[in-house]
Amino acid sequence: MSEIRALIVDDSAVMRKIVERALRQAGLNLMVVHEAGSGIEGLDILKAREVDLILSDINMPLMDGLEFLREIRAQNLAPGVPVVMITTESSEEHVKQAILSGAQGYIRKPFTSEQVKERVLPLVNAA
Amino acid sequence: MAVSLRDSVQLVSDPRNLDASVEEVFRLMLGVSCRRDSGPVTEDLESVTAVVGFGGMLSGACVFSSGSSAAIEIAAHLTGMEFAEVDDIVKDGIGEICNMLAGAWKGKVPDLAAHCGLSVPAVITGRDYKLHVQAPEFQLHHFYRFDGASFAVTIVCDGLQ
Repeated sequence: MSEIRALIVDDSAVMRKIVERALRQAGLNLMVVHEAGSGIEGLDILKAREVDLILSDINMPLMDGLEFLREIRAQNLAPGVPVVMITTESSEEHVKQAILSGAQGYIRKPFTSEQVKERVLPLVNAA
Repeated sequence: MAVSLRDSVQLVSDPRNLDASVEEVFRLMLGVSCRRDSGPVTEDLESVTAVVGFGGMLSGACVFSSGSSAAIEIAAHLTGMEFAEVDDIVKDGIGEICNMLAGAWKGKVPDLAAHCGLSVPAVITGRDYKLHVQAPEFQLHHFYRFDGASFAVTIVCDGLQ
């Protein structure tokens, strides 16, 4: 598998590390992992760096994950890069909002590395 | 048609939903099996409490509480790291545990999942403090244990539409 540059956006530093660990356990060959504590930080990173995969929480202070997603699309940042939301919000409505905002995948916390593998690997391979 | 949780208060307040949520979060994220316990056995003076608020059709909070040694053990299982004290990483980890418990609990009832939002977690540490809620609609307060760690999870509902 080719080397992946990932951006993980979550206001919890612990959760960013857990997501990174799950990606590695899922078999992703992570070359670089950029971390952002909010959507605003995530946008700043995307303006300066190229990435191959974005994973974002939804519930975050300053700028939530859905607004972050809409801004990525509005500013045409990271075109063609798959975005996967990882969140405690699990209702159909939240999934629908995420997909309408431009997410390609959705993982509910708590999660297993197997779920991460099932939902992220096909997107990375197709990108 | 307007949605009302008042008609499904029995479902929302079903104590089995809380037990299932705790079991799910600890099994998937920590790889441990939790069981209900009769009461707190911690001798720690220091407490760690995380609070995630509910807003929308249900208002209230999910509250996680433990002694400092249990918080350290939970954070160690969650992160794969070792901790000597309740530092910022432990507090962050306990906040995330509470966040996932709140999300898993509300996810057990579809109308609740769709019409109730979560706040970001707040974590409090200290000694000799108690949580008081005046006249809640309902309250669930359960103790759990795994290995040597015991903790409590409380769901407080102070408003239901």
